[in-house]
Amino acid sequence: MKWLELVTVAGATLASAVTVVVLYSLGVRLTAIAGDAQASPGFKKSLAYVCFGLCGVAVLFGLYLIIPYFSG
Amino acid sequence: MVALVIALALFFDFTNGFHDTANAMATPIATGAIKPKTAVTLAAILNLVGAFLSTEVAKTVSGGIIREGSDGVQITPDIIFAGLMGAILWNMITWLKGLPSSSSHALFGGLIGAAIAGIGFNSINLEGLLQKVILPAIFAPLIAGIVAYVCTRLAYLLTSRHDPETGSKLTQKRGGFRTGQIFTSSLVALAHGTNDAQKTMGIITLVLIAAGTQETGSGPQFWVIAACAFAIAIGTYAGGWRIIRTMGAGLTEVKPAQGFAAETSTASAILASSHLGFALSTTQVASGSVIGSGMGRRGTSVRWSMVGKIALGWLFTLPAAGLVGALTALLVKTGVIGVLIAAVAGTSAVLFMFFYSRKSAVGHHNAIEVEEAGQAVRFAKKKARARARAHAKAKAEADAKAAASRNAPPEAESDTVTTKDVQR
Repeated sequence: MKWLELVTVAGATLASAVTVVVLYSLGVRLTAIAGDAQASPGFKKSLAYVCFGLCGVAVLFGLYLIIPYFSG
Repeated sequence: MVALVIALALFFDFTNGFHDTANAMATPIATGAIKPKTAVTLAAILNLVGAFLSTEVAKTVSGGIIREGSDGVQITPDIIFAGLMGAILWNMITWLKGLPSSSSHALFGGLIGAAIAGIGFNSINLEGLLQKVILPAIFAPLIAGIVAYVCTRLAYLLTSRHDPETGSKLTQKRGGFRTGQIFTSSLVALAHGTNDAQKTMGIITLVLIAAGTQETGSGPQFWVIAACAFAIAIGTYAGGWRIIRTMGAGLTEVKPAQGFAAETSTASAILASSHLGFALSTTQVASGSVIGSGMGRRGTSVRWSMVGKIALGWLFTLPAAGLVGALTALLVKTGVIGVLIAAVAGTSAVLFMFFYSRKSAVGHHNAIEVEEAGQAVRFAKKKARARARAHAKAKAEADAKAAASRNAPPEAESDTVTTKDVQR
C-alpha cells in the first residue's frame, strides 16, 4: 500500500493551498487597507500587488506541472 | 464492433466532459465571479487545449485493476464495449440526479463488471482495486476537505478587519477573491483536460491496436486526439447544469473568499496527486473542498443530507456501473444479436433519460440564481436585515411597536444601497 505517497500528497496539497490562500488573502487585506483614507496608500497597494504577483507565480508553476511538455 | 466501441468511447468522453464541468466552474459561477455561459465556454476551451497538450497513452485500459497484459487476460473490444456502456449509463443517472460522481470510477466499475462476467472473477486485481479506487475514494474528499477548511479559516481570518476603537467592521474587499477564483478554476479545468481526454484516447488506441489497424506501442493517431478533444470540449460546453447546481448551491452557500479557498485546495490536490503518485479523483476532491470550505466559513451550514446522497452515489458507482457492464458483457457474449440488443437498449436508456430531464430542464439560466445585481443585493441583504433588526429593536424600546414595524422596511432599503456602494 502506498501510504507514504498518500501522506506526501496530503502534505503537498496542504502546504501549497495554504501558501496561495495566505498570499492572496494578504493581498486582499492590503488592498482594503490601501482603500482606507490613509497617508501612504501607495506603499500598501504595491505590497498587495506583490502578493498577487506571487500568486500568479504559483499559477504559472501549476501550468508548468500540468503541461507535459515542460515536465519531460 | 471496433466502430461501435469508438463511438461509445467518444460518447463517454462527452458525458465525462459535462459531468465534470462542475468541478472547475461551480464555485466561480456560484459567487458570480464568471457568468455561467462564459464559465462553461472557458472550461470547454481549456479542456480542448488540455486534451491536445497531453497525448501520452496509457499502457492499460484499467490502469492495473484488471490483470491485463502478457501474464493476465486479454481485454477484448467486447469487454471495453460493455464497460463503457456501464460507465455511460451510470454517468447519465448521476447527472439526472445532479450528483457529482467520478467518471473514471464509473469506467472502472463498468470494466470490472464486464471482466467478471466475460472472463471470470480471477481477472480482477483486488489489491489494485483497493489502492486505485477504494482508498482514494475515502481519502480524496478527506484531504481536500481538511485543506479547504484550513484555507477558508485562514482567508477569513486574514481579511477580517475591525476598527480597534469601535469594534465595527471595516471594508474588507472580499470581492477581490473573485478574480483569483477565475485563475484557480481555470487550472482545474486545464488539468481535467490533460487527464481525462487522455483516458478515452488510450481506450480507442488500444482498441485500434487490438483490431490490428494500428501498430503495437504507437501513440494515438491525430484524428483520435482531435475527436477526443472535441468530444470532451463539447461535453464541457453543454455543461452539466444539474451538477453545477449541486456543487455551487446544493452543498453549501458559497462566498468569494470561501470559493477561492475551495478552488485552490482542489487545484493543489489534483496537481499534487498527479505528480506525487497517488491518483485522486477530481470530482471527489472538488466535492470535498466545497464541503470543507462550507464548514470553514462561519454563518453557513453544510447540507448534510445532500452530502449523504453524494456519498451514497459514490458507494454505488462501482457496483451499479459494474452490474450494467456485466449484463452487457453477457449479452455481447451471445453474438451479433446480443450486441445489437445491448446497443439499442443502451441508446434508448440514454435517450429516455435525456427526454426525462427535459421535464425539469436545468440550464445556464437557472442553475444557480446569481446575477450581477442580484448577488450584490443578496450579499447586502443579510447585513441590512441585521441592521434593520437592531434598528427595530431600539425603536421598539422607545416607541410603540407599531411605529417600529412601519419604519423598518424603508430603513432596510437605504441600508442595502449603502452597503452595496461600500462593496463596490
